[in-house]
Amino acid sequence: MNENRNTSSDLAGTAAVPLAAPASQASKAHATAPVPVPPQAQAPSAPPEPALARVVVVGLASCFGCQLQITNIESHLIEVLGQFDLRYWQLTSDGHMPEDFDVAVIEGAVTTEESLAAVLRLRERAKAVITVGACANTAGIPGLASTRFDERLGEVYQHLPQACGTPIAPRSVPSVITVDYAVPCCPIDPFEFLEALGRALYGSNRTLGTRTMCGDCKRNESACFYNQGSLCLGLVTRAGCNARCVNLGRPCNGCRGVSPHANLESAREAVARYGLSVKDFDLRLELFNQTNPVLSGRE
Amino acid sequence: MTRTTLQVDHIARVEGHGNIHVVVNDGVVETVEVNVVEPARLFESMVRGRDHSEVSYIASRICGICSASHVVTDLKAIERVFGIEPSPRTRALRELLVYGSYLQNHATHLFVLAAPDYLGQPSVFPLAQTDPQLFEQALALKALGNELCTKVGGRSIHPITAVVGGFTHEVSAGEYRALAGKLEAMVPFALATVDVFNSFPVPDMATEGDLLAMVEEAYYPVECSDIACFLDAGISFDASDLADNIEEYEVAHSAALFARVKATKSPYMTAALARVNASWPYLSSNAKVAAAKAGLRPPERNPFKNNVAQAVELVDALERCAGICRRLAENEVPGRSTPPAYTVRAGYAVGFTEAPRGALFHALELDGQGKVVKATIMTPTAQNLANLEADVRQLAQKLAAQGVTEAELRLWVEKLVRAYDPCLSCSVH
Repeated sequence: MNENRNTSSDLAGTAAVPLAAPASQASKAHATAPVPVPPQAQAPSAPPEPALARVVVVGLASCFGCQLQITNIESHLIEVLGQFDLRYWQLTSDGHMPEDFDVAVIEGAVTTEESLAAVLRLRERAKAVITVGACANTAGIPGLASTRFDERLGEVYQHLPQACGTPIAPRSVPSVITVDYAVPCCPIDPFEFLEALGRALYGSNRTLGTRTMCGDCKRNESACFYNQGSLCLGLVTRAGCNARCVNLGRPCNGCRGVSPHANLESAREAVARYGLSVKDFDLRLELFNQTNPVLSGRE
Repeated sequence: MTRTTLQVDHIARVEGHGNIHVVVNDGVVETVEVNVVEPARLFESMVRGRDHSEVSYIASRICGICSASHVVTDLKAIERVFGIEPSPRTRALRELLVYGSYLQNHATHLFVLAAPDYLGQPSVFPLAQTDPQLFEQALALKALGNELCTKVGGRSIHPITAVVGGFTHEVSAGEYRALAGKLEAMVPFALATVDVFNSFPVPDMATEGDLLAMVEEAYYPVECSDIACFLDAGISFDASDLADNIEEYEVAHSAALFARVKATKSPYMTAALARVNASWPYLSSNAKVAAAKAGLRPPERNPFKNNVAQAVELVDALERCAGICRRLAENEVPGRSTPPAYTVRAGYAVGFTEAPRGALFHALELDGQGKVVKATIMTPTAQNLANLEADVRQLAQKLAAQGVTEAELRLWVEKLVRAYDPCLSCSVH
């Protein structure tokens, strides 16, 4: 939903939670991406009203679904919005990106020179960057077009319209800047976003879990797709969604990204052991992880 | 009036990124361009060579709002290639899924994107204070659309359960009954919504383009038919003959392809307004009464009335879906939704649904292994762009002749764009 507002104080009657030094203690990333401290943080005389963190939400190449998921917290959307000063929400705003803000929420993959420049600018200015959704985190579905990229442009357009900008092979946000908080999945779980936002606003050193999904299915007592002769990417995918798709009878397609603990070689051996095609397994992995260097190093 | 150049960069309260450029010189409209400036994601290329079972999963990511429609459209294309006839139960579930996205889309479009224009507000949020009841009910309606999509598809966007031939999961009879109750309880608010949008003053105008909608014998169709109809030209065609009936063309100022009727070269509109014109007699009884009360009867060619048509569709969707849920609960819909075994074969077919914003086509050519050889996706917004430009021109000419201020011109042009409910991210895919 959809409007930029210049202040949040005019918003509903909900209690605004004061913000103490937004996110600063949690941003280990700042070692690599030094960010100037905004002037008001050094204000000499203590102002009685603590400022709310200034948040901007930016959409790159995506389906907008993760931004929609944020609006799908209908029951307490207003309460959530009352916690920060929403300076810019690109989904439908007619305003301009402000010069100063604290937290940048980025949805979508980087697919043009223009969006690459925009992301670099966001990193320079933001104290904390949150990436939402598979497109931002792993290049997701847009990443599927990253191989043979120039050829693909010709498959869709005879003459590339100027309005497309200057296309570059799709890439994830963390492949071009340091990201402080990632909300994975396609689409995101809105409550997982709230958790990440809370960490950015109030500080926390909690990180995303790194185990793979198979353990979740065991706990859920779900029947394994491999026993039914079907590929499932739960073998190597980062857990945390409680195996939502598997619970509904559909194999995992890997939208949370490859877990850092995944053992791809061992997974491929398991696939072969079940009499399934390792080539198909690798193809399926491309769906959300095409640009992951772990995959390109598979030879 | 001397030379006025209206440049609206980044149209507010539409989905995706677009600009409008209008030049009025001495009362004459010289230029009207709608620029869609979305990045090209190249879906038609990325599905090439991929297995058919993955295609709907990938295509759903074209658009978060229209994801259910993209999935169902793709599944229809694949099933037509393979000769799979889904059971009536599967079709009923798909109808629910598509209508779930209607509730989400129309509620969001009407209240969040369009209404602020007419209430003199910059956004929907002030409504939370000035009319908290309306604000809460609008959010509740959108939430109900999410719930319907979640019960049927497994989550509010990017459905999980819909696969070739059926569904991998269904909720219990009790949940269908509970849903039916919630849908029926929302009808009074939807009826009030028709009145609210009918009360907003709009300029008197009539689109000169054609109207395109799905048609079906004695039914208000959004999923069940393969036949599309150009209402003015009187041309009905099977979706698989798409290329013989609709022509796509490139324009430099838009990343989305434009479209026109191949036979007449006329631009056309596809939207709730076209559907209501095509199938008015088959609206649910309350929806028809509400439409009649609002003066919305075919032929209705004022594009601003698309807002009222969407409100009428909300009434229709709630009543229709409540009925479907009750029939599913009582096992009155024949067949099973369990995905059947099937054999792949090579071929070409077009899937067709009425997405919330209008006709959506997915043309798929598959090889003997069931892999995609070629895909063409035609979204409602891309089809509407040429007609939208023509309507903006007509409106600007009319207002320029009345000597309105630049600010007024800008406001009405934006209102017209929003009445089309464009989904710019869909249009460039």
